[in-house]
Amino acid sequence: MSDELVQILEGNTFVVSDDRGDIEASATDPTGLFSFDTRFLSKWVLTVNGQRLTALSTDDLQYFQTRFFLVPGSGTVYVDAKLSVIREREVADGFHEDIRVLNHENVPVDLKIRIDAASDFADLFEVKDALAKKGQYQAQVTDSSLVLGYRRETYARETWISSSSPAVIDDKGLEFSVTVPPHGEWSTELEVVASTGALDGFSASTTGIRGEHRVHRDMARGLEKWLKHAPRLECDWEPLELIYRRCLTDLAALRFSTLTMPGRSLPAAGLPWFMTIFGRDSIFTSLQALPFTSELAATTLMALAERQGTRIDDFRDEDPGRILHEMRYGELTAFEERPHSPYYGSADATALFVVLLDEYERWTGDARLVLHLEQAARAALNWIDEYADLQGNGYVSYQRRNEQTGLENQCWKDSWDSISYRNGDLPGFPRATCELQGYAYDAKVRGARLARLIWKDPALADRLEKEAADLKRRFNSDFWVEDGEYFAVALEADGRQVDSLTSNNGHLLWSGIVEKSKARAVARHLLGPRLFSGWGVRTLAEGEARYNPIGYHVGTVWPFDNSFIAWGLRRYGFKDEAACIVAGIMEAAEVFAGRLPEAFGGYQRTTTRYPVRYPTACSPQAWSTGAPLLLLRAALGLEPHGDNLVVDPALPMRIGHLELLDVPGRWKRIDAFGRGRVDTDRMTRR
Amino acid sequence: MAPLKTSEDPVSQFFVALAEQGRIATFAGESATLRFDIADGEAVERWHVTITSGDVAVTRKQDAADAVVRIQRPQFEAIVTGRLNAQAALLRGLLSCEGSVAALMMFQRCLPGPPGSTGRVGPISGQAVMAERRPA
Repeated sequence: MSDELVQILEGNTFVVSDDRGDIEASATDPTGLFSFDTRFLSKWVLTVNGQRLTALSTDDLQYFQTRFFLVPGSGTVYVDAKLSVIREREVADGFHEDIRVLNHENVPVDLKIRIDAASDFADLFEVKDALAKKGQYQAQVTDSSLVLGYRRETYARETWISSSSPAVIDDKGLEFSVTVPPHGEWSTELEVVASTGALDGFSASTTGIRGEHRVHRDMARGLEKWLKHAPRLECDWEPLELIYRRCLTDLAALRFSTLTMPGRSLPAAGLPWFMTIFGRDSIFTSLQALPFTSELAATTLMALAERQGTRIDDFRDEDPGRILHEMRYGELTAFEERPHSPYYGSADATALFVVLLDEYERWTGDARLVLHLEQAARAALNWIDEYADLQGNGYVSYQRRNEQTGLENQCWKDSWDSISYRNGDLPGFPRATCELQGYAYDAKVRGARLARLIWKDPALADRLEKEAADLKRRFNSDFWVEDGEYFAVALEADGRQVDSLTSNNGHLLWSGIVEKSKARAVARHLLGPRLFSGWGVRTLAEGEARYNPIGYHVGTVWPFDNSFIAWGLRRYGFKDEAACIVAGIMEAAEVFAGRLPEAFGGYQRTTTRYPVRYPTACSPQAWSTGAPLLLLRAALGLEPHGDNLVVDPALPMRIGHLELLDVPGRWKRIDAFGRGRVDTDRMTRR
Repeated sequence: MAPLKTSEDPVSQFFVALAEQGRIATFAGESATLRFDIADGEAVERWHVTITSGDVAVTRKQDAADAVVRIQRPQFEAIVTGRLNAQAALLRGLLSCEGSVAALMMFQRCLPGPPGSTGRVGPISGQAVMAERRPA
């Protein structure tokens, strides 16, 4: 068999199989049919006369649909195949599979076609950590279907398997004894439905499942409509058109509907393991996509407000006003063995929620949503002062209260060694990382704007502005590393600066907390040899003790990070510097055929020539998918100004002429044009 | 309308307190109706909650509602005293919701947190972190 895994999905249901379409999961092997964070099929193997099949080719028709061309036998035996098999599969609330067997001979053939099916009903967390199950399995055979089940107390999940042609069904699968006429064909349709018991009633699309392909036609139409509604891009540099189209298609695949808003979509964090709401990822992706589609932002804001924290819950790290980190639906969450119902351990999502709300209003003029979410935004702003200031020193910091299954690092760089001193020492907890202060500052400034303009509460606006100014003043003195001329990545509980040089400085520009007099030094670092690799800004600067060009948050280049850094550079008027980031990341995207990975190696560009992919299970990932969109915004200098959209391009020379047509917003639709004039090669000395 | 009885019973205490607050900040601007059908052996006890732009009214009527929530009494007692998380209970099949799950999702925001939660945790020193982790 091949190592290539094929994955298709719709919403939070997805199938990972081998290139034959077969699923043979082991406890730790991540293939299967998954829905609501549970594996509903761990075995799904097709045989013809007891023989496994071999793939001739596999076509990903759409992100929710794949076709497998197969022949019986393995290895080289199939050269003379007298039979071929075509499996076509599409995901809905489970999946639908057409199997066609073609006889290429002049004589009829008798065949035993069998599907072996089984399920371990593993929670996604169990798949990752290989944990043992606590409930009982059952299999039930009826005339027309096989029902695989799992039950633990009142928790029940079932997989329903049925076929359109008569089959002999046993508790391990379905068997068809058929005669295929000369040059004829036999076919059947298999239906696999993932049933979540109590949750089924909420899944609106379930009703469409047996409606003869209605589901997939709707999906295909949805994708078409999505692409048609996005602004049109035309450009002299062809790769950019490919990158743009790839982004839009991947973003469509990453759309996810919650149980409470079935008709609306928000961006899930990544495919396939993170097809769920993540506060931080959904917000960043919505921000990146705002100039292209505002629906993702609106749904994200509503979905996060709906589940905003309202109480003190140490297990979930929940506080009143806090915006969630991650939501899960699997067995471990159901039995409170994991805190994801939802889990709130994120120190940035709450401030970013207010940032997104304001940015959304600036683009769309949708005051109604801002009014509707007034209470949620006020509660979020209150959280920053009331619950996030763990040390009482006026800075946002984090420390998990759930010490077993909570998250240690609650900022976007969430790995254990991401926050360190120059010498590699790790700080204690609570930790006040610098970008959190930037987000809090921006939330206050933007909250003040909304309070004055839309909530008609000038007293709140005045207070927020005063607090923001005070925070900015203190921050620029407390976090500024004098001998390095940049901002420390964090403050220790005792006020000591965690003094390594990191990409977080770029986020500080984005949030506006950097005093003008310090901005040039920060920009110089971002484009300087220690941080800038030639492709983009490294997470941690070369020369720091923990620097590693293939370390997750300690040296790799993250496209998402860079897109916000570019926006930050623009904010402070460093147009040419922003263009350098745009050029580097877009050229990397070209190498990755339009789909940027989560991260790639921080090696010097002149050394490796090609960006080296960081191995990760998740692709596409939402905020990497959104990165080129935000970079386009930064390159064209798109900025809402009242009811107008300001266009102030600073494009890398290579891009040449660029048109972005029909940019939607409160101005209805506006076209943006630019011509590449910035010699980014010269600036970055390549 | 019959007066709501106060007693030692956590379920009626919860609903009475809700009605007494009248206005719940987290419901500001929201409107929905919910009915809780709480099974206690053979008997079913009903509580009807109407939220109108954040104002809450509670009755014992069997009126229709956007969301009808069915649950056994011991589990509901656990939920209204913070010992069981409503979302986890839903995933576990301990409660069912007919109609608008959005209404239920909104409602759960007024439920209390676990009794033992303090919101506090002791700081951890850099030395303690380093002792557990490998140096650079």
